[in-house]
Amino acid sequence: MLFFSYFKEIVGREVVVELKNDLAIRGTLRSVDQYLNIKLENTRVVDQDKYPHMLSVRNCFIRGSVVRYVQLPPDGVDVELLHDATRREARGG
Amino acid sequence: MALGLRVFSERTSNGEPILDDNNGEVLMHTQPAVSIVLGNRPSESPGTLFISSKQVIWLSDVDRSKGYAVDFVSISLHAVSRDPEAYPSPCIYTQIETGDDEEDEDEDEEQQQTLDWSSGISMIKEMRLVPSDSSHLETLFEVFCECAELNPEPMQGEDASNWNLSGNDVNLIGYSNGDHDLTHDVLQLHINDQRFEDAEEMEHESNKRNSHQ
Repeated sequence: MLFFSYFKEIVGREVVVELKNDLAIRGTLRSVDQYLNIKLENTRVVDQDKYPHMLSVRNCFIRGSVVRYVQLPPDGVDVELLHDATRREARGG
Repeated sequence: MALGLRVFSERTSNGEPILDDNNGEVLMHTQPAVSIVLGNRPSESPGTLFISSKQVIWLSDVDRSKGYAVDFVSISLHAVSRDPEAYPSPCIYTQIETGDDEEDEDEDEEQQQTLDWSSGISMIKEMRLVPSDSSHLETLFEVFCECAELNPEPMQGEDASNWNLSGNDVNLIGYSNGDHDLTHDVLQLHINDQRFEDAEEMEHESNKRNSHQ
């Protein structure tokens, strides 16, 4: 549940969601659920030349299982906190 | 479970899709007057959109043998598309996971010209649903979101991705999370963990209190 809790904390921030099919979408994180399904608002496709048909999309829902990476806002990452939380999660605590 | 779009033709006498009631599939939403656009193919209409707790089904109003379905687990992304440059009419835009990324869709599209409507649909990667009344788009979007959440990824043993973390798929008792030595950890717990002593003291305390009463 670590990532779920973490992503909930950065709702409202701008992220880039990169899908397993190479499509990368920048947008404001609107919500995330326990399956890490992601809703984005004010979306822009990062590589607009490659995906012109996605230009029109303003908000979208992305299935958690097709997400490869989520690029986080640099100041939204508390490395120490995440480090501790990861250790705790690994211990099952 | 097969990924991708497929033919759907099982209808009741009143034109509704036959769902898998025994496995708890229920109809969540019906939207009449919706046309469907698969990949780069021409728009097909008129039809009715049925959204169940498991899948999205579009049935032709004209040809009773014609219909398409795609499971929510195959829908990678959905969105409301309103830019006329991307598509002339506002629509629900979806991307479909086909399970075979190697196939070249354009080639498939060319072959399709000579074949019937149902050929090659399992390779379709994009689907647009165009309601004649675009004021229904937000509702449709929300129903899609709700149903997507009802359909998490089925567990696939060792291949199960960490992205699927849910309350249910925590490690089973006795299975370690990596290749660290579980026995060693338990040993550490016996030697160093103060918590057990604390618990004992608490017990003594409460025993004392009980005996005073």
